[in-house]
Amino acid sequence: MPSEVKMPQLGMNQDSAVIVTWLKASGDKIKSGEPIFEVETDKATVEVEATADGYLTDICAGEGADVPVGNVIATIVETKAEVFDSADEPAALPESASGPEVDIASETNPKQAPAAAKPATKSKASISPRDPAIANQQVSRPSTAEKVLASPKAKRLASERGINLGALRAQGVTEPIHTADLARAGTGGQSSLTAHIEGYALNVLLDRSEDGNRTALFAAFAAGGWRAIYNCDHVTVALREVDGTSTLLTNPDRGGNGKPATTALTLVDLCDTRLSGFVSASGGVTLCTARNGENYVLTLSFSESSLPMVHAVALLDTIAARIRDPIRQLL
Amino acid sequence: MRSITFSQAVNEAIAEEMRRDECVFLIGEDVAEAGTPFKVTSGLVEEFGTDRVIDTPIAEPGFMGLAVGAAMTGARPIVDLMFGDFLFLVMDQLCNQAAKTHYMSGGKLQVPLVLRTNLGATRRSAAQHSQSLHALVAHIPGLKVAMPSSAYEAKGLMKTAIRDDNPVVIFEDKLMYQDKAQVPEEEYFIPLGEANILRDGTDITLIGTSSMRQVCESAAELLGEEGISAEVIDPRTIVPLDEAKILESVKKTSRAIVVDEGHQNFGTTAEIAARISEKVFYHLDAPVIRMGAMDVPVPFSPALEDLTVPTPEGVAENARKIVAGELVHAL
Repeated sequence: MPSEVKMPQLGMNQDSAVIVTWLKASGDKIKSGEPIFEVETDKATVEVEATADGYLTDICAGEGADVPVGNVIATIVETKAEVFDSADEPAALPESASGPEVDIASETNPKQAPAAAKPATKSKASISPRDPAIANQQVSRPSTAEKVLASPKAKRLASERGINLGALRAQGVTEPIHTADLARAGTGGQSSLTAHIEGYALNVLLDRSEDGNRTALFAAFAAGGWRAIYNCDHVTVALREVDGTSTLLTNPDRGGNGKPATTALTLVDLCDTRLSGFVSASGGVTLCTARNGENYVLTLSFSESSLPMVHAVALLDTIAARIRDPIRQLL
Repeated sequence: MRSITFSQAVNEAIAEEMRRDECVFLIGEDVAEAGTPFKVTSGLVEEFGTDRVIDTPIAEPGFMGLAVGAAMTGARPIVDLMFGDFLFLVMDQLCNQAAKTHYMSGGKLQVPLVLRTNLGATRRSAAQHSQSLHALVAHIPGLKVAMPSSAYEAKGLMKTAIRDDNPVVIFEDKLMYQDKAQVPEEEYFIPLGEANILRDGTDITLIGTSSMRQVCESAAELLGEEGISAEVIDPRTIVPLDEAKILESVKKTSRAIVVDEGHQNFGTTAEIAARISEKVFYHLDAPVIRMGAMDVPVPFSPALEDLTVPTPEGVAENARKIVAGELVHAL
């Protein structure tokens, strides 16, 4: 009769242990009392002995795996013929036997999933068609999370000028990136994306609210969109008025609370004018909002070296979705 | 303007101050008839007599202690320590007594003492007569440390040191005693803690103490021929250190190499480099490079000894690398 090899309880408060080494391989003949693997607890490394005679098989937790106490990690069978030949099938690790790689994957998944889902579910606005490949690319490599090797000065200047160092690297600039390399971010000028959005829901909302501050709402939508794409704690939006003044709003989507961060994007609201769009020549990301009758026109201008096209598309799309369906954002 | 040697400049400074103030006296091994092995004090005993130019037995702790006591009770001794290497013999008198007396007496006692000694390798004097130990005393609060880099600095700093009411240690490079420089005939002083910018530049700051100033100037020449503009700064005193001037320069150039003849480990270069990194980190476009003496006892073999100290070519080579954006000392 096969005997299960379980992760033993080695200490009072021990919930799991890490398998350091397998001392026997699948198919090896073993005797009861013989050490078969080594585990590491928070206190010590211990050899675990076999509790039956036979052949080792069905090893389902590899070296380095952190296994909860009591989980089956292998089986001891009586005859060699019962040994499961792992060469026939790739060994599938059960969830409990997750190794370090598995941990990392499961940790990043929750971040990826909502970001991937949001643009997909909210893409009713006017940007179309939507390429799912774009969304995947964008969420799998959010550039703000990448560590780019750059000099302190280059990092500071990049942050001041809104230059994305990850995009520079993607452009072929070799690391470490120095100040002189930042000049390459300036080339290529500004790109722009435009979205036409049905304004009914927003107009109803503005009519019913007491103060009806449309610009503040746009700032909140812009910050919320940025947060959805980049997953950051604090988003600062610069509000550029048509009279030339500028105001910084930190986390406008969260009631303005929190630490000021580097300006993520600049908002220009032209809804009170007869103008329909503005493309900024400055290096930063600028979102311009304008009216077209009852509807709204959004223009996002950006430098592709600081905001990659895929990010820009996802950003404008998610902001557009919020304007079209503001209740969803406000809830 | 006239040119005089480094040793003449030191001699003039001591003579002028001894003429002005009868409390000033000179004490040390071979300072009177022999005029020191470097002939720096020749002629002084003839003018001031053996009461004020005092030859001592070979007993550094003895005459150093005597001088500290004399300074506490109103005299202004100039102690001549024949080799900087002998500092190890006077550590208690200098670091435990002279440096702390003003503080520990609640300001009631002062120790207006000048300890003049030397530094510098490549004189084929072997490991016990070739060290540059200024970092050792610079570490002790209460001691000022001057490092004249030419005859001009030697005279101006010596006169200021003699008039200072606190202990000042002056390190003269023993290879520079015969070097000539323009020195005004009229009286002048160089304040302690005032760095000298010898050459303006925009690409890199070379900070060189004592004889390393010349090394940096020669390196700057080499670099200039290749179109690299190097700024050269001589701190002149490392305690107090003219941090503002150094930081201002590095903010302008974004890069720095600190060159000093003391051992590199835990040395003067490390201190200056650390202050730059701490205080103008976000202006740096490259790691701050330390170039000190090799961390070995100074070899007697001329061929080996020459390899242990920074050279203009070595400084220029590192400067080229960091200006080109190559990582120097990359991990």
